[in-house]
Amino acid sequence: MSHPLLGGAQNERHLLLGNEAIVRGALEAGVNVVTCYPGTPSSEVPDTFYKLGGNGRYKMEYSVNEKVAMEVAAGAALAGAMALVTMKHVGLNVAADPLFTAAYTGMPGGLVVLSADDPACHSSQNEQDNRYYARAASLPCFEPASAQEAKDMTHQAFRLARELQQPVLLRTTTRLNHMRGAVHFDALPQEMPLVPWKNESMRFVPVPAVARNRHKVLEENMRLARNFAETSPWNVESGQGRMGVIASGIARAYLADALYAGGWEDKVRVFELGMSWPLPETRLKEFLRQCDRVLVLEEGEPLLEQGIRDLAQRHNLPVNVAGKNGVLLSIHGEYSTSSIMQGLAAFLDCPSPVTAARAHTTGLPNRPPNLCAGCSHRAVYYAVRKLFGDEAVYSSDIGCYTLGLLPPLRMADFLVCMGSSISAGSGFAWASGKPVIAFVGDSTFFHSGLSGLVNAVFNQHDILMVILDNGTTAMTGHQPNPGMEQAVLGEGVQHLDIESAVRGVGVTEVCRVKAYNLKALTEALQNFREKKGVRVLIAEEPCVLYARRVLKKTLPQVATVAVQGEDARRCAEELACPAFYKKDDDLYVDATLCSGCMVCLQIAPKAFKAVKR
Amino acid sequence: MDKQKRIRIYMTGVGGQGTLTATTLLARTALDEGLDVVAGEVHGMAQRGGVVESVILLGGWKAPKLDFGEADILLGFEPLETLRGLPYLRSGGIIFSSEDAMEPLSVCLGQAQYPALAGIKEKSQAVAGKSFFLPCRSLGQEVGSVQSGNTVLLGALCASGALPFTETALEKAIQKHLPAKIVETNIKAMYLGVAKVKAAS
Repeated sequence: MSHPLLGGAQNERHLLLGNEAIVRGALEAGVNVVTCYPGTPSSEVPDTFYKLGGNGRYKMEYSVNEKVAMEVAAGAALAGAMALVTMKHVGLNVAADPLFTAAYTGMPGGLVVLSADDPACHSSQNEQDNRYYARAASLPCFEPASAQEAKDMTHQAFRLARELQQPVLLRTTTRLNHMRGAVHFDALPQEMPLVPWKNESMRFVPVPAVARNRHKVLEENMRLARNFAETSPWNVESGQGRMGVIASGIARAYLADALYAGGWEDKVRVFELGMSWPLPETRLKEFLRQCDRVLVLEEGEPLLEQGIRDLAQRHNLPVNVAGKNGVLLSIHGEYSTSSIMQGLAAFLDCPSPVTAARAHTTGLPNRPPNLCAGCSHRAVYYAVRKLFGDEAVYSSDIGCYTLGLLPPLRMADFLVCMGSSISAGSGFAWASGKPVIAFVGDSTFFHSGLSGLVNAVFNQHDILMVILDNGTTAMTGHQPNPGMEQAVLGEGVQHLDIESAVRGVGVTEVCRVKAYNLKALTEALQNFREKKGVRVLIAEEPCVLYARRVLKKTLPQVATVAVQGEDARRCAEELACPAFYKKDDDLYVDATLCSGCMVCLQIAPKAFKAVKR
Repeated sequence: MDKQKRIRIYMTGVGGQGTLTATTLLARTALDEGLDVVAGEVHGMAQRGGVVESVILLGGWKAPKLDFGEADILLGFEPLETLRGLPYLRSGGIIFSSEDAMEPLSVCLGQAQYPALAGIKEKSQAVAGKSFFLPCRSLGQEVGSVQSGNTVLLGALCASGALPFTETALEKAIQKHLPAKIVETNIKAMYLGVAKVKAAS
């Protein structure tokens, strides 16, 4: 039986994750090409396309970074394909350069850009609001608030992208990406035929003279997009009265529940914006005329609020506009049903029906995320800390290994963004004269660490780069990357050897070791410690989860405590492997968690011994 | 029970325990019964040994996230997480919880203390109208898989009369949506939970 996303017929109803619904929407639109760089909360979109395989219906790739993904998708859309490119919000910063040009030249086949934003930083370094990009680059923007809308708006985004030949932004947030809901399917047509390529270099090569003209075309196309927003079925009015609420994004879901729970459904006039850029100004203007006051509800930055204020000012409308209040409705984190209920109660000047929580539970032991038992990063970090202690400065990067920040390993002093460990580390060493060690994973190395390495060699920086090569993109769920072994990658993609790449760009001080081998690690580090310039240590060992699940490899033995005492205790404290546990002051190894890495045996050979699993 | 009765369920457990699998199974059961259903979860970094929370909303609620005091039902797959999630439960709500602890690293290393089960139960009862604490992990082991301990709890929930459907619907959903090789184990686990609730009421 084929997967319902590919086999499901019209009118079937399935429970789908928001991200799966986006996949179905793209398939219903007839998508030809999908590119991505994985990143939470966007990853299930490309992962689902990858799993489905497509049966020849579409082409799909994991690109090496977001900029490349955007460019490959743009090239495909120039060639007339309907193309989807997916990434998390910060990825769009990486991809911004090609995106702005794509909006100028236009994309004949139709290009949809999925930006998965992460308010509340569930798994990100910031809360940036990518609706700014819709305004900055001039992109029509859709913001679904349910699984059904995720499918339908994706489909609609593709139709608009092809009709206007303008890139369209599908902007989601974590709660939408990771919600599940019932989705009614529409028909699944064949993939769309390519739009035939017409050679128009005076359109597609944006030298200044071309770009100036294209800017005007872009302005005109956004005017056309505004007409779509005026008539869009996703921009919906309901309710009644002189008190108005304007909402976009997932705030619409919280609003619906708040209106129900507060019994306010007939007390306010509501304007919901599913297609949130450009603003349907004519309709909004009419809406504002019918209101004495409006409350704008949107997570993140007050973009819609500013737009409404601007509209009211330009048309001399005597409406009072409220929005962010800095307290419950702030630019920080996520909205919720109760924050909107309290905001609405204040706005309507009535008592808030929200009751305080009955239970208060503080001071409970937490469960912070931690490197897994047997994670090879732990072994490398242990060896580095033993040798360099606090004399070196540790430049970290983005991946599971960022968790090395936690004590007792404390292997992250600063972090800028994907691929920055080597370049920011170079700058730190240059300015401070201190020894700097940069840590980067294999996928992040190929993402943009490689360019930093090229720069370090070119500018003769003084830095030790440790590539934590666990053979996969561990953090986001084991997606393929160029460093993965060929047998797992299969056909159609080519394995790249990290050492050859490092040597190829001119690094001569290169050492490759097995990450579980503390002696070899320490010797290599000691050797590099005596030297200057660019030095690269490649520490290899598959991610334990990946080894177990994908490579189907488990080590035959587990560690156990042979002799209780100071050695065992110190090893547990300094290594902090989650397989250790204490009971009545004695130390034990949980055999179900132990991966068999045997790093503890190397640290304290008398305290631990290996036994059969 | 009215099929459109609005119910909000807060579910919590430890990463790797199968909390999200249980969430999806229950959501599919509700959908198969013709109910309006929305489920909310968060994937990613929080999963690695961390707390995994999810919600299921029945009967027309739309927001994929709950606030304190909003849940009618709390499903705790681990007792410490039941306690941590307690503020989400509305006064008079119902708790279904595992009583088998999974100690956090800080407790394993002797740096923090795991709260006593009796205290967890006492605090739960101070908020809830009813609470059921079951030895899910050991009941799961009894039928052959620790993971099926979650299904024990789902069975208890469905048999309690708190939802617009019963264990019959859950049994159908297990047969329809779980991989064939684990169907029998999960149905056995489910009935262990059903029996516990029936014995208690």
